[in-house]
Amino acid sequence: MSTTGTAGTVKERADLALNDDFLRKAVRFTTERLRNGKKKASEDHGNWDDWRERGRQIRLHTIAHLDYYLNIFTENARANGVHVHFADTAADAVKVALDIAERKQAKTIVKSKSMVTEELHLNHHLEKIGIEAIETDLGEYIIQLAGETPSHIIIPAIHKNRYQIADLLSADAGETLAPDTTVLAGFVRKKLREKFLEADIGMTGCNFAIAETGSMVLFENEGNARMVTTVPKTQITLMGMERIIPSWTDLEVMATLLPRSATGQKLTVYMSGITGPRRSEDGDGPEEMHIIIVDNGRSLQLGDPEFQELLNCIRCGACLNACPVYRHIGGHAYGGTYSGPIGAVLTPSLQKNVGEWDDIANASSLCGACYEACPVKIPLHDMLVYLRRRKVEAGHGNKIESIGMKGFSAVMGGSKRFRTILNLGKLGQKLVVRNGEIRTKLGPLKGWNTYRVTPSIPKKTFRDSWGTIEEEIRNGLQEMDPAVRSRMEAAVKNRDKGGHGHG
Amino acid sequence: MAESQTHQQWLDELEAASRSKQEKFMNSIASKLGRPRVMEAPKHPFRGAPDFWNNFEWSQEERVQHFTENFKSAGGHVARLADMEAAKQFIADKANEMSAKYIVRQNQAELEALGLEAALPDASISVWNSDPAQSWKARAAEADFGVVMADYAAAYTGSVTVLSSKDKGRSVSLLPTVLIVIIPLERLKTRLGEILPDFDRAGRASLPAGIHFISGPSRSADIENDLTIGVHGPGIVYSLIVG
Repeated sequence: MSTTGTAGTVKERADLALNDDFLRKAVRFTTERLRNGKKKASEDHGNWDDWRERGRQIRLHTIAHLDYYLNIFTENARANGVHVHFADTAADAVKVALDIAERKQAKTIVKSKSMVTEELHLNHHLEKIGIEAIETDLGEYIIQLAGETPSHIIIPAIHKNRYQIADLLSADAGETLAPDTTVLAGFVRKKLREKFLEADIGMTGCNFAIAETGSMVLFENEGNARMVTTVPKTQITLMGMERIIPSWTDLEVMATLLPRSATGQKLTVYMSGITGPRRSEDGDGPEEMHIIIVDNGRSLQLGDPEFQELLNCIRCGACLNACPVYRHIGGHAYGGTYSGPIGAVLTPSLQKNVGEWDDIANASSLCGACYEACPVKIPLHDMLVYLRRRKVEAGHGNKIESIGMKGFSAVMGGSKRFRTILNLGKLGQKLVVRNGEIRTKLGPLKGWNTYRVTPSIPKKTFRDSWGTIEEEIRNGLQEMDPAVRSRMEAAVKNRDKGGHGHG
Repeated sequence: MAESQTHQQWLDELEAASRSKQEKFMNSIASKLGRPRVMEAPKHPFRGAPDFWNNFEWSQEERVQHFTENFKSAGGHVARLADMEAAKQFIADKANEMSAKYIVRQNQAELEALGLEAALPDASISVWNSDPAQSWKARAAEADFGVVMADYAAAYTGSVTVLSSKDKGRSVSLLPTVLIVIIPLERLKTRLGEILPDFDRAGRASLPAGIHFISGPSRSADIENDLTIGVHGPGIVYSLIVG
């Protein structure tokens, strides 16, 4: 169900997105709102850069000592009664999860939001062995009904309007539901209540894992992650191997940065720290708890000076909201599990196959807004440049761009050639100029002209005028006011005599 | 019994596999980082919040004021009450006003002393985990009101903290339609940083299974960014600051 359509290039997928008027408006509206919320929350909080720096330091420290912290996390979680598993690849992680589900003879699994399970396409694998996996986050439930994947890390159904949602939920309910938010959410609450109570397994992701006590921490607003970790008898948590922080004391910094950056909240409605399965005398909580620690390409970043900081990411989505490209094309155009600037770097980095994702790094304007927004100061815009460089080094450069660039350098390398080309252009453009604009979508101008208009080359170019301008400047200098000239000469004389200067 | 033994055997096998993989996993991390394994706790100079923040503290009245503002702006309700007698009256009045039939409360001495049973003779009031034969998750799921004591509260984020135990169910603050949290005034702190380090000090073995920070009613903005209250957790939350 949750297969990601990665057919075609980012450009082709973006064409789909750009032509979908509602999507573009919805994405812009939502990201604008989240971005303003973040801006206000970080300004209200004050000293934001000090907090960012502190967040960065904690993440840097943890990743630099990841073997130590992950190891003590494992030991502590085990001492709490958790069954810990390690998965090098997506296939390993899926195998462990399916083994547990089969062993438990599970019929249904209720899930709270987890980007790692999206990365593994776990729902798809569970369905293949006949297990119903139900996404319980409202937005995730909606897109699961639609058979789609999340288009935003925080608001997954950002691309659907209430009428589309009402249609999906009406089909689910078997009756017509009004396109009213309260009615729709009310239906989902009732429907999922039953699912929580009957599910065999609850499955979650993990925002942070606390090494020193072996605890896992979840941030959420709806309460579904609490449901999933409280009601079913078995809990399975999938966590990226880099989700670690040393202590609860460090959690204050993450709890300050994450909600403010994601939604502009001072804290999400629920922040839950779970330390092991239920104690034997407890009245609720899972009897059996598994944590699957997933590598799946993450460790490739370790020891890489250009990309190690990617592992500092706390998955807040602030870079998506800040990115002018994301705001135009939306999440699906990126074609991977993670979208926006973080996705543009993370997807090729996790996959090791830069070639296949070679165009994703181009879905960025390198403006640096992502870095400014990042609560742990990951230099995403630099990474995008590194990625493009590696791509070219690996021979995956854009052929037409390279040829174009070679042609450009050939033309610009000689002024005579440039003049000839310009004059040719003046003649040639007569075929395509209409009212002083070029709107043709032929040849090299196709990409640009699809959404913009190229101005025609003026009758008199800047280059044509250059001789005149140069002459005016020279003449102008000669005609300097004699009074000014004498003052300047006096100043120079004074300086030579060692008079007081400005140091 | 035989089946549970095989299940235990299966778990043991998983653990053996996990332990052997653990070494490879950690060694591989160290080798990618280009150094030997780190086996001793490294120096962690930037632990917790920036220094200037750790000295920040509001007065009691400021804490009450900011908690109230923050909790209300997240869609919750706050009442400042003189004593537990006033809290009992408040809960009884709300239960009558909203015709609450089923109430579930934590098994705590402070709540026992409220005497809600006498104040609300028509309501069915159950006490969490007081009878092992009961299905407690079902009792909490059907409840109109859940009543709990806060272990901590933080004014700066407008949050209450509840810890689980045999007598304190995680479901009681999650499944009922309305949640009522009583916050004794002395448990209301300024910052999260006055609460979280307690869990480090307590240490792994002393931590409860569930530590939950709650900052208002359950909410979602997943449908067209339109705020919806009460999606999965309680849609109405009262914080009663007592003292």
